[in-house]
Amino acid sequence: MLSAASSSTIPRLRWAAPRRSQSTGNQWLLLLLRRRCSVSSSFSPPLVTPAAAAAAGSGALEPPDVPRLANAARISLSPEEAEEFAPKIRQVVGWFGQLQAVDLASVEPSLRAGTAAGSSLREDRPETFANRDAIIEAVPSYDDPYIKVPRVLNKE
Amino acid sequence: MALTLLRGMRTPILARRNSGLFFTTLHPPLSRLTARAESAQATASPKSIQLATKEAAEQKTQGFEAVIGIETHVQLSTVTKAFCSCPYSYGSQPNSTVCPTCMGHPGTLPVLNSKVVECAVKLGLALNCKIAMSSKFDRKQYFYPDLPKGYQISQFDIPIAKEGYLDLDLPVEFGGGHRRFGITRVHMEEDAGKLLHSESGSYSQVDLNRAGVPLLEIVSEPDMRTGIEAAEYGAEIQRLVRYLGVSNGNMQEGSLRCDVNVSVRPIGQSNFGTKVEIKNMNSFSAINRAIDYEISRQILLHKEGQADQIVQETRLWDESSQKTFTMRKKEGLADYRYFPEPDLPEVVLTSDYIDEIHKSMPELPEAKRRRYENMGLSMQDVLFLANDDNVARFFDSTLEHGADAKLAANWIMGDIAAYLKNEKLSIDEIKLTPLELSELIASIKNGTISGKIGKEILIELIAKGGTVKSVIEEKDLVQIADPAAIEAMVDQVLADNPKQLEQYRSGKTKLQGFFAGQVMKASKGKANPVLLNKILGEKLKANS
Repeated sequence: MLSAASSSTIPRLRWAAPRRSQSTGNQWLLLLLRRRCSVSSSFSPPLVTPAAAAAAGSGALEPPDVPRLANAARISLSPEEAEEFAPKIRQVVGWFGQLQAVDLASVEPSLRAGTAAGSSLREDRPETFANRDAIIEAVPSYDDPYIKVPRVLNKE
Repeated sequence: MALTLLRGMRTPILARRNSGLFFTTLHPPLSRLTARAESAQATASPKSIQLATKEAAEQKTQGFEAVIGIETHVQLSTVTKAFCSCPYSYGSQPNSTVCPTCMGHPGTLPVLNSKVVECAVKLGLALNCKIAMSSKFDRKQYFYPDLPKGYQISQFDIPIAKEGYLDLDLPVEFGGGHRRFGITRVHMEEDAGKLLHSESGSYSQVDLNRAGVPLLEIVSEPDMRTGIEAAEYGAEIQRLVRYLGVSNGNMQEGSLRCDVNVSVRPIGQSNFGTKVEIKNMNSFSAINRAIDYEISRQILLHKEGQADQIVQETRLWDESSQKTFTMRKKEGLADYRYFPEPDLPEVVLTSDYIDEIHKSMPELPEAKRRRYENMGLSMQDVLFLANDDNVARFFDSTLEHGADAKLAANWIMGDIAAYLKNEKLSIDEIKLTPLELSELIASIKNGTISGKIGKEILIELIAKGGTVKSVIEEKDLVQIADPAAIEAMVDQVLADNPKQLEQYRSGKTKLQGFFAGQVMKASKGKANPVLLNKILGEKLKANS
């Protein structure tokens, strides 16, 4: 990981305040792509490529396979668009790649960034969300008492 | 509940695939539970049948062995969900226990329920695992309508517990034996919602009450070789989570779900064969049957030279046809694009915290079984008593009041178990207390009452409560152990039945039983039977 924060004293079952906006490698690119493109409406199965799984897990900054990323993000991308995005995404990956050059020899490895201090865990005490009507109202297609979604027979 | 389980385990499925030789003999024992609980006598014949079945199955698998690993999902019985404060209870009105967090609305942040960590550490320790002092959450991405965020919060590369094992004892009727199965890991994650299909089938329906409910996933090593081993592994996990109180372990409600991986290889080969995943089994006996079906399906393909027809896929168990069917083919590892959950900090434990949990843990099933075994109880007794922690608690408490272990076990597995089964009650729902059971045993042992009267008192105590002493006094049930009193009753009976006495004297000595019955009746069941028979025998001999 990229984190350089060293965890000094760890209080009992306490942890850092949640930090937003940390993402890694290809995942970040998916977000980038999603913001720019229309989302396909079909529910199709998760993508199935072992090599990609390895790449996503390892954190290595490989050149992105744009058609695969688009498929994984359920984004319809024409071959022309894919070609147009590829160099831009490579550039972004390149910027992140600069982090690889940081010398971490003297830094103790850490699972996450910023575990120094912050909020604690939540007690197991129930709290009913008060504005349920509004949240149900916000469901795009509701068939009381269920949320209505396109037909799904199995994960295929 | 314990009873249902034992009964399920008894179903000798292996036979179904075998020749007609075993088929007919094996059909009935489904409802034999009381027999098991009440006497050893009834178990003698099914045992030999099952051993024969086992041998037949071994012959069928000749040259091959199955390798089985299990992924178990345990739904935790916390009050609230894993990452938000929504209460969860099974069977609530659909979409009633939801909030922006578990519905995946933008801008919401997960906050981990401390109880989930506690349950995970408890189960990790119970499974003899190494607990990670520091672990983290990851996002597992996939698109499916019951997953509102588009990812499941789970633990990927650093689970909270790993490298443990689980000890268990196989049921006596399946040949018995102790087994130790490796545990690869235990990790925390959240459940998805429930997807239903509308009647017309033109659309699907989603209930998000279950979305975000905490789960522990337990992954076993591929250490199991037969359906019964896998089913017993599942049953032991269920026992464990119930003993620990982390889950109700209810398979029908989906609180305990087992996905099984099965492959077959020629014996001696070190590489695994192609593995097939089986889902949709909602009982341990179904796990047993599904696996044994799948093993024979794969062995058959091997023997017919069609091993290449075994492909990595997910198959569903179909209860009505007793077969597995292809659900989907897998082309390799699914691409979940795991990455660290940025909204949650790492989970950091202290050794004090772990020690505290360790100290609070109850005696676990394996320790209980070994303790009962050391008391000299038979494995049949041991397995029955340790199966349900309520039964075990009742038994232990009876012993604490001074009762003899074997006698207490006999009462619990006999008359009490039969009553519970008939009335569909659990042992903590009856009015009999462990103290009174120990009193009852003592009263029989010291001769105050006969065993027969003891049974009557027991039923009374189970249904109405009260004490042994008060029932004995109230109903005047004290055993008659005064020889003179019994002699008087014997004399009276002999005098009242001159015809039978004549027949006895002319050689019909079987009539002694008739006289004994009459005397017992006259004493309202209170005569000491040993004394009665002795005096009666002497009288009859003297008179003839």
